[in-house]
Amino acid sequence: MNFTLTEEQELIQANIREFAQKHLEPIAARLDEESRFPSEVIAQLAELGMMGMPYPREYGGGGTDFLTYTIVVEELCRACAATGFTVSCHTALASGPIFNYGNEAQKQKYLVPLCQGRQLGAFALTEPGAGTDVGAASTTAVRDGEDYVLNGTKTFISNGPNADTYVIFAKTDPSKGLKGMSAFIVSRDNPGLSVGEHFAKMGIRASQTSEIVLKDCRVPGADLLGREGDGFRIAMQTLNDGRIGVAAQAVGITQAALDESIRYSSSRIQFNKPLAVNQAIQWMIADMATELAAARFLTYHAAFLKDQGAAYTREASMAKLFAAEVANRHASKAVQIHGGYGYIKGQKVERLMRDAKITEIYEGTSEAQRMVIAGSLLR
Amino acid sequence: MPKIITCFKWVVDEADIRVEPASHRLNLERVGYKISDYDRTALEAAAQLKEKYGGTVTALTIGGPSAKKSIKDALSRGADQACFVSDPGFEGLEPAQVAGLLGSVIASRLEYDLILCGDGSSDRYSQQVGPRLAEKLGIPVVTAVVGLELESDRIIAERKLETNLEVVAVKLPALLTVLPDLNTPRIPGLRDTLDAAKKPVVTIAAAELPPVAAALIETVALQGLVLERNCVQFGADANAIRQLVETLRKSGAVG
Repeated sequence: MNFTLTEEQELIQANIREFAQKHLEPIAARLDEESRFPSEVIAQLAELGMMGMPYPREYGGGGTDFLTYTIVVEELCRACAATGFTVSCHTALASGPIFNYGNEAQKQKYLVPLCQGRQLGAFALTEPGAGTDVGAASTTAVRDGEDYVLNGTKTFISNGPNADTYVIFAKTDPSKGLKGMSAFIVSRDNPGLSVGEHFAKMGIRASQTSEIVLKDCRVPGADLLGREGDGFRIAMQTLNDGRIGVAAQAVGITQAALDESIRYSSSRIQFNKPLAVNQAIQWMIADMATELAAARFLTYHAAFLKDQGAAYTREASMAKLFAAEVANRHASKAVQIHGGYGYIKGQKVERLMRDAKITEIYEGTSEAQRMVIAGSLLR
Repeated sequence: MPKIITCFKWVVDEADIRVEPASHRLNLERVGYKISDYDRTALEAAAQLKEKYGGTVTALTIGGPSAKKSIKDALSRGADQACFVSDPGFEGLEPAQVAGLLGSVIASRLEYDLILCGDGSSDRYSQQVGPRLAEKLGIPVVTAVVGLELESDRIIAERKLETNLEVVAVKLPALLTVLPDLNTPRIPGLRDTLDAAKKPVVTIAAAELPPVAAALIETVALQGLVLERNCVQFGADANAIRQLVETLRKSGAVG
């Protein structure tokens, strides 16, 4: 079992870490406070070739393995979870379905600009009445000649307000429940698509989240992904990959929490000594580092299995479940270590704790992950 | 179309070094390594010259086998090829030895118009290798370079001296040592990193070169400098001042 990264992976990791420290860390607090989309950073990441890493070069991608991409997400999230998540959502949730299920024409038209970072992607599955219960979706896609007409509302869509290309799930045959769902590629300039309510969130505030409203949205038949009825399968497979990105996001947040905790406890003096001499603090840091290592290995292992072509659904769920709970537990501990200062806006750990929470919720709640894991063991 | 050689060193990342609290010994157990900071500036300068004027860039380093990791890093920063002079005995060489080896390699195998080095390495910062190498090769050296322009067969270089900037012109071939003010090294993109593996690397063993000169310096100890504060407060009256002077005498701060 080889636990070392390749030379290329180490270099890419070091380069992205440097990029994040120089270009992302200094603006992360302001991005959060202003809920501002990190457009300048996304543009720089596109220049560096980081917006389509795990897809082949022939489609404008980086041609890397999934593990290398996962490491990049982690490093970005260590500096700014919202920015790292924007990259992850774009790469896995939007480009993923087009790469895995699109035909050549769709890949050339949509995947190439997404991978080059010239366009931003989004994934629209969730609805006001359909979160974990995907089957309760009510957005319909009615066949009309060669086209489909979509009607419905999607909610909590990350990259919603900024995306150029959306992968949208709608029922072509409501009578068939989950098997009646289909996936479509829809462009932002489609007159039937509009951005609805923008949401002000607890955390990852620089990531833009909104409703997407489809009103008599006419989509050419050529933009159906796969076949009618493939939608649910496409969504679930895509979320598998997205989950590894969320796990990486949680690992990045936890690493940042550890960095801040070590720094603060080494310099904060109480009773004439640094906090770090106290066993209570030492144990918090020991536990944080240990669970972080475990979360990281679970995450990297899931990515590794995907790269090997092995089954990885269970491992991706385990990684996301564990890493998310670790991030929440230890971001809270990090605030505790900082005492009163940890509660003040502008302190990084205050933002980390707010950012951590979403990792237990989106791309499948922790409860849903437990269902997936149990299902894979007990069936 | 200049032929450029950039010399670089693979060094310990000083941010990772821990100092043992009691003995002040350096704990290097978990250190990472990097291309020395000013050498990165040199590689970036070479890349920029190539972009502007064409030509080729050869990245050259001397080190033990562990320095092999540095090669792809250097190749991802604009070099066309790399030359790795490697031997386990090449860990921790002193500047005269390094300059001797670099001189042998360059004189016997490499064509060049310009050699670029960092002004000093992040670890020892002896600032000797550049000037010693130029002397070995019999070419002019310009140190502390913070600006440079290529004009057909000469370089106009700006040097940062203690109180002023000096502008010099030097005919090629020449060696320049650079300071970080010269440029901001770009962060290699994904393609640069992945394409590095495809570029040619020549590895030269110790046996292929004249023997390394004997070391002239013996490193007796390498210890961390730990600042200990006693935090004693003194008053300002005559007695307190006498106490202060006595304390300073006892500590050896004054004679």
